[in-house]
Amino acid sequence: MPEYDISEIERLIDGKLPWARVQEIMKEAKDADRFDKWVQILQTRQSWDDRILLPLSPSLFIVQKKNKERVVKCACGQEFGDYRVNWKLSANIFVRDSDEALREVYRGSEQPDAAWTQVREYSCPGCGAMLEVEAVPRGTPPDFEILPDLDTFYREWLGRPLEDEQEFTDKTLETVGGWS
Amino acid sequence: MTTQAAPPTKTATPVKARLAKNDELFAQTGYLFGLTEMKRKQEDPGNYEAVWQILQNICNTGWAVGCRVSSSAIAVEGGDALWALHLPTGEAVATSRGITAHPGLLSHFLRQIIEQGYEETPGIKPGDIFENNDPHYGGIHPVDFDTGVPIFYGDELVAWASGVTHVMDSGYIMPGSIGFMNPDAFADGMPVTMEKIGENDQLYPWYEMRVRSRTRVPEFVMGDARGRLAGCLTIRNKVIELIDKQGVEYFKDVMHEYVEDGRRYAVTRVKNQAVPGRMRKSNFKDLAMKGKRVIMPSQDIDCLFNLPLEVNIDKDAHVNFSLRGASGWVPFGQNITPAAAKSALLNAYSHIVGFDMTNWGPAGAWDLEEPPAGSWANPYPVNYFASAGVAWAPAVMWMSSLYESFGRAYFMRGYIEEVAAGAATTLTAEFSGIGQYGTYVAGLTLEQASNGAPARGMADGESSAWCIYTPNADFGNAEVTELYYPIVYLGRNIQPDSGGYGTFRGGLGHTTVWMIKNNQGGVEYQCGCAGMRSKILANHGMFGAYPTWPDRGSYAHDTNLKELIEKQLPLVHERGDPEDPILAKNLKASVMHTNVVAPFVTPEQLQEYDVIMHPISGAQALGDPLLRDPKVVAYELSNGWTRERIASDIYGVVTNYDEAAKEYNVDDSATEKKRREMREARKARSVPFRDWWGQERQKVERKENMDPAVLTMWRSSMELSPEYGAEVRAFWKLPDDFTF
Repeated sequence: MPEYDISEIERLIDGKLPWARVQEIMKEAKDADRFDKWVQILQTRQSWDDRILLPLSPSLFIVQKKNKERVVKCACGQEFGDYRVNWKLSANIFVRDSDEALREVYRGSEQPDAAWTQVREYSCPGCGAMLEVEAVPRGTPPDFEILPDLDTFYREWLGRPLEDEQEFTDKTLETVGGWS
Repeated sequence: MTTQAAPPTKTATPVKARLAKNDELFAQTGYLFGLTEMKRKQEDPGNYEAVWQILQNICNTGWAVGCRVSSSAIAVEGGDALWALHLPTGEAVATSRGITAHPGLLSHFLRQIIEQGYEETPGIKPGDIFENNDPHYGGIHPVDFDTGVPIFYGDELVAWASGVTHVMDSGYIMPGSIGFMNPDAFADGMPVTMEKIGENDQLYPWYEMRVRSRTRVPEFVMGDARGRLAGCLTIRNKVIELIDKQGVEYFKDVMHEYVEDGRRYAVTRVKNQAVPGRMRKSNFKDLAMKGKRVIMPSQDIDCLFNLPLEVNIDKDAHVNFSLRGASGWVPFGQNITPAAAKSALLNAYSHIVGFDMTNWGPAGAWDLEEPPAGSWANPYPVNYFASAGVAWAPAVMWMSSLYESFGRAYFMRGYIEEVAAGAATTLTAEFSGIGQYGTYVAGLTLEQASNGAPARGMADGESSAWCIYTPNADFGNAEVTELYYPIVYLGRNIQPDSGGYGTFRGGLGHTTVWMIKNNQGGVEYQCGCAGMRSKILANHGMFGAYPTWPDRGSYAHDTNLKELIEKQLPLVHERGDPEDPILAKNLKASVMHTNVVAPFVTPEQLQEYDVIMHPISGAQALGDPLLRDPKVVAYELSNGWTRERIASDIYGVVTNYDEAAKEYNVDDSATEKKRREMREARKARSVPFRDWWGQERQKVERKENMDPAVLTMWRSSMELSPEYGAEVRAFWKLPDDFTF
C-alpha cells in the first residue's frame, strides 16, 4: 500500500504534480491515509477553526462546530445549516428560464430550449462562489447530491466514532414543510 | 493435448442444478459460490496471477482473431466487440479488450441457456454454437449478436467461450444499426432467439440463408458471425491447452475464485475510496421527433426521458441502485430491459469504480432495484413489444450520473484524481445507399467513439480520447472509413468550448465534416441517437460548472461545393460561430440546415457534394468558471480551443492579443477586477432560495412555460413511481391529487 508525503498530496490537489506522476498514483493501490492528509491540508487553508468532518466540494464542508452542531459551511465562513438538509435551501439562486437569460451563456446552435429546461445557479450568499449548477426541467426538486452517513463512515470505515452520533436521515422535506 | 471428446449424453452434474446451488450459497454466505476462502490464491498466489494473465491474453487473442476475420467497419475500425471466457453456469471470468458492458450481457445469455433447460433439449455438446440477439432473452439491442461456444474437457462442460459484435445492419426497419426510430419490436430486425446456430464448429446453412434474406449488408454480417465464431474457437482451443498444463481441477477452482475476487475487489474499492450514504442525481434526455420523418403516426411526438439515479452505499460497502421515477416507455427504439441495464452498469463500474478483474464478480457487489414497470428501463410488463433498437441510449446517459455521483464520494475522501465530472453524449452518424463500389452499403461511422473525457478533480479532461461505452476509445481512421462509405472527410477538428465551462473543463469533442462522394443514386444520413441531448443540457454542473451544450446537426443539400473545389475557393472544414456558421457562409445550397435538433434522418436523398457537419460532444466540466487559471484560458484562446466571448463573459479573463507573437496574454489586474465584479453581480442578481421557491412553486402549479413533453414526462414518472411522485408534490407543496 503506497504512502505519499503530504506535500505531494498538496501538489496533487493544486494540480501542480506532473501528469506522469498523477498517472502513477492513479495506477497504484490507493494510499490508506489520504483522507487524513486531505482534511489536514484543507483545515489549514480555512480562516475558521471548526473541525472539518467531510469536504463536500471545493467550497463547501461539513463541519462540527464548537457546540457539536454539524453544519455545511463555505470556505468564506457562510453557514448553510444542518448537513442533513439540502444546503441549497440556504443558498442564493439565479435561474435562467428564458431564451434571453440562457443566451448569456449559450448561443445559436448551442442554446437549449427554455420550455424544456432551466439552468439554476446556486451561489454562496457570503462570497458569491458558484457552488452548483443544475440544468433540469421545471418541476424538478433540487438534487440533494450526497447525504453521507457520517457516523457509519467514522465508526465502521475509519474505526474512530464521532461524539454525539446523529440519526442518518434526510430532513429536507421536513424543512420545506415549514415554509409557506 | 486433449481434443474435443465425442458428444456426451449428459454432463456429470447438471449445470442447472449447480446454478441453483450457486445462488443459494451466495444468499447464505455473501460470497459468490460460497467461497469464504480463496484456497488456490492462498496456496500459490504467483500461479494464480499468472493464470489470470494467461486467460486475459487468451481472450485478447480471441479478439484479435475475431476482429480480423470479421472485416466490418464497426468491429475492425471501431473495435465495437468483445470476447470472453465464462463458467459453465455463465458468469464471465475473463474478457478481452473492448466494450465492458458485454461481459454482463454474455453472462446473462449463457445463464439463460442453462435456465431454459438446453442441457436436455437441444443438448449441449462439443462443437455446438449458440446465439442470441433478442432483448427479451438477455440481449441489449438486436444488432449486438451474442455467440457462445461450450468448452468441454473430456466429457465435462468446464467453461464457455463467447463473443459479441455490433453488426452493421440486422434488418431494422431503417438501414443501419442504431434503430432509434424503430417503433416496436417488430421493427427490430432479424431475431436470433436463444438458438443453436451450428454444430461441429460450423454454422448451419440456414443461418447464412437468413442473414442473406433479412439483412442489408450480409457480407459484413456474415463476416461478423464468422469473426465471433473464430474468436470463440481460438479461446476454446487455447483454454484446453491451458487445462492440459494446469490440470482440470485447478482450472475449475481458479475460474470460480477469479469471479469472487472480482466481487471482492469492487467492494473493497468502494469501501476504500467512497463514503457510505445516499447519492441522488437527476438527469434527463430528450427525443424530439414531432414534425420529422418518422415510421408510424404515433411517433410524431416529442419525448423527454426522466433518468433519475439514486445510489445507496451501506456499511458493508454494498451498493444499491435505483431508477425510481423513471419515465414511461417510448414508441421508439430507446427502451432497455432491467437485465441489460444491470449489465450496462458493469460498464460504468469499470470506468468509475474500476477493477483489475473485469468479469461478472462486481455484479455481486451491487443490486439494481427493479425499475418501475412500464418505464423505459422495464417496458415489457406493460408493453412486451417495446423496441430496444438502441437500448444503450437512455442507459449510457443514466450511467453518466454514476460518474458524477461516485466522483463526489471520491472527492470527500480526497481521491480527486479519480473524480469524473460526467460523460459526453453519443450522437451517431450512419450512411446508407449505393456506394462507390456499386453495391449497397449501410453502416455506422465510429466518430462517436472518441469523445472528450470528463474533467477530473484537479485537471481538464483529455480531448477526443474517451468514450462512455468502451474504455478503448477509437474513432477509426478517416481514410479507412472512406473506403467503407461514399464519403470524403473535409474536416475532423477539435470543437472549441465543447467541454462545458468550469475551473476544469471536460475534454473537448470534435466536429466532423463530410462530403458525399462517389455515391450512385443517393445517400441517406442518419444523425442518430445512441444517447444524446438536443433540446436540453445535461444536469452536470458539478461544483458550479456550466454543462456542455446540446447536440445539433447540420447539412447542406444540392450545393455548389464542386464549383468551390474547382475554383480553389474556401471550403468547409469546421463549424465556426454557432450564430453564423461557416457552412452557410461558404456554401450555397438549395437545402441548408445549420441548427437541426437531433436525431433525424435526412428527408432528402443526399447526392454528390452534399455536406454534413456532425458534432461529437465533449465531456462535463467541474468547478466555478471564475476559478479557472487565466493563463490556461489565454493559452486555449491562442490555440483556438476557447473563444473570446467565453474567455471574457464566462471565465472573466481579460486578455490582450499580441499580433507579433500571435498569442493572447492575460491582463492580471484587469482580470482580478473583472472577476470581483462578476462575483458581486452574481450576489446582486441572485435571491435566497426560499424566495425563489415561493415564486417557482406557483409556476409549477400553473405549468408555466412547460413543454408538453415535459408535462408528459412528469405524469408518467409520478404515476409509475408513486413514492417519487409524492416527494415531488411534497417539495413544491402541491395538493396530494396534483398531476401534471
